[in-house]
Amino acid sequence: MTQTAVMREDVRRAIGRTAVLEEGAADPGWLNARREEAWDIYEATPLPSTRSEEWRYTDVARLLPLDELEPAAGGPARVAALPEGLRRAMAQDRESAGRIVDVDGRVVSVELDEALAAQGVVLSSLREAARAGMPEVESLLATEAVPASDGKFAALNAALWSDGVFLYVPRGVRVDRTIRLSRWISRPGTATFTRILIVAEELSRLSFVDEILSPDFSSATLVNTAVELFSRGGAQVQYVSLQRMGEGGVYLANQRTLAERDSTLDTLNVALGGSVGRVDLNARLLGPGANSDMLGLYFGDSNQHFDFNTSQDHVAPNAHSDLLYKGALDGAARGIFRGIIRVHDGAQGTDAYQTNRNLILSDEAISTSLPNLEIEADDVRCSHGATVGQLDAEALFYLMSRGLRREQAERLVVLGFLGEVLSKLPLGGVVEKVTQAIEAKLRYV
Amino acid sequence: MDDSPILVVKALEAGVADEDIDILKGVDLAIRPGEIHAVMGPNGSGKSTLAKVIAGHPEYEVTGGSVGLRGEDLLEMEPDERAQAGVFMAFQYPVEIPGVSIANFLRTALQSRLEDGEELDLFDFQELLMERMELLDMDVAFAQRPVNDGFSGGEKKRNEILQMAVLKPALAVMDETDSGLDIDALQVVARGVNTLRDEDPEMSVLLITHYQRILNHIVPDRVHVMVDGRIVESGGPEVALELEAQGYEEYRKAHAA
Ligand SMILES: Nc1ncnc2c1ncn2[C@@H]1O[C@H](COP(=O)(O)OP(=O)(O)O)[C@@H](O)[C@H]1O
Ligand SMILES: [Mg+2]
Repeated sequence: MTQTAVMREDVRRAIGRTAVLEEGAADPGWLNARREEAWDIYEATPLPSTRSEEWRYTDVARLLPLDELEPAAGGPARVAALPEGLRRAMAQDRESAGRIVDVDGRVVSVELDEALAAQGVVLSSLREAARAGMPEVESLLATEAVPASDGKFAALNAALWSDGVFLYVPRGVRVDRTIRLSRWISRPGTATFTRILIVAEELSRLSFVDEILSPDFSSATLVNTAVELFSRGGAQVQYVSLQRMGEGGVYLANQRTLAERDSTLDTLNVALGGSVGRVDLNARLLGPGANSDMLGLYFGDSNQHFDFNTSQDHVAPNAHSDLLYKGALDGAARGIFRGIIRVHDGAQGTDAYQTNRNLILSDEAISTSLPNLEIEADDVRCSHGATVGQLDAEALFYLMSRGLRREQAERLVVLGFLGEVLSKLPLGGVVEKVTQAIEAKLRYV
Repeated sequence: MDDSPILVVKALEAGVADEDIDILKGVDLAIRPGEIHAVMGPNGSGKSTLAKVIAGHPEYEVTGGSVGLRGEDLLEMEPDERAQAGVFMAFQYPVEIPGVSIANFLRTALQSRLEDGEELDLFDFQELLMERMELLDMDVAFAQRPVNDGFSGGEKKRNEILQMAVLKPALAVMDETDSGLDIDALQVVARGVNTLRDEDPEMSVLLITHYQRILNHIVPDRVHVMVDGRIVESGGPEVALELEAQGYEEYRKAHAA
């Protein structure tokens, strides 16, 4: 590829400069400067190649016709009626403390429990939070967590993001009910860039569910999300991503969690939809006593391609991280898990675990699992393990001997296998929703 | 009452599929509705193989003879079809199904017995499940545990009987359900079986056991002794007592070659 002109010059101008500047003469100067800087980094960074370890199995140059995508500058700020598919997904949710709805990369509504707002909780369109001069947005957006320097797509996102979420929970405030982001992509052949910035101050608590849906598309449609999560001392944060896009969806996410002293920062990535899903998750354990449970669940069929690239960075001593990713692959689906535990010099007393388990349901499905360890401290407890297996014939016979048809038996075994992940993060409504989504998918297998 | 047998096993020969191992070398057996037949015999004589062939385990291949259920060719049916036709096997070694709760499993099993489009009444199901768990001295929380996952040996056996009590088979094949149970657990199992027979006097039982002990609680009509893939003796309950007194060693010697 010559230079890095993967995006048309006119498009670049439209989104990278004009649209952003025009629409938001209202945007603060620091933001526009940060976008321009990010764009320069984007241009100077080559597209990830399959020659690099981290992108060996996901050929973005082939999977993603970047030149042909229309960057979504954000849909209209108001929509008359929400798309049916989105409304159905929202109707399934249990009560929540707040909800943001985002259509085509533009926040169209924000609701937050009034009592929480009175306690200083902020739930806002990210763009508006930047314009309103929220200090955390200026200091933390694309700086410590997912800066433009993180890679080609991190840079592209930092330059082109149209909107996203800012959630701030002040010290000591406990948000007991889930806060939800419900996202919908409607236009085929577009590229949408979204950012999520969540700050949980000391001793606060929150759980956030980020769900994305779309119809089936006849052409590749990109969604790129940068997720920046900060839990300050003693805070408890749960972030759940439910990726349920339709065919043609290409979902690329950069997630980074920064857990300070005695805080908990748990994540769950569920990948069921889209044609391609790539999640880069980096968990940083920055203070003693910090804890991150990292859960993942993927179920691919037909030609779906899911690629998870995770890292557990133990910077501080006496922190704990525990990763469990489980996937089932049918049809000609492909699953890749590449994970590394890095125990940095000085991170004594680290407890870090990493497990990836795969269930292969067809002859054509492929699973690749690459767990890894890098330890530079003494006195640590670390383990990693990976398995790839098929449906247990003995289990199927057992279930069929009770009258279940073969498909029913297979369905139960797959649900049980994946369900272990959900049982570890029993967030209101998530278990039921994901279970139903898996069941719906199993019906076509 | 129709007195023709529910289960007829004729000159049954079977081995391990894809391998040259003969296990059953001509087994004959006929069980009438409501009868309890015990099959006893030393380890490795083929008792579990007989049970699994009846249930349709894919690992075993029938090389001769026949198995009929109410006149239908059982060997032509898939395992699930056999279950639908009323066969239930309590496994000697129940299988763990991680992540699938007993309640969900049994609900699906009952649902699978209904016509297409017919929905299981969940309230009735709950009631049946609770009643059966009470009968078997089980804690209600048990139903939410994943099937056999992390169960003790005794819990697994009880779980087999719970499934049997919920599914109410016409023919129950119990493969060493008594092994490894203490006397209290054994009585609970026996109570389960006897209650089912009180409810349905036509329910038949093929009770495979290593020990005479369970036959004090579940009284057999016939006792068969299996050695090396053949039934070498059949008689009334007294056969079990003789066997217990004499020991399997004697038996094996007496029936060798
Ligand atoms: N799947 C198998 N593969 C190989 N040998 C088997 C298999 N199943 C049973 N056998 C052999 O067949 C014989 C009978 O086994 P089994 O029916 O389990 O006996 P029992 O239940 O009476 O103890 C034993 O010698 C056993 O080793
Ligand atoms: Mg046996």
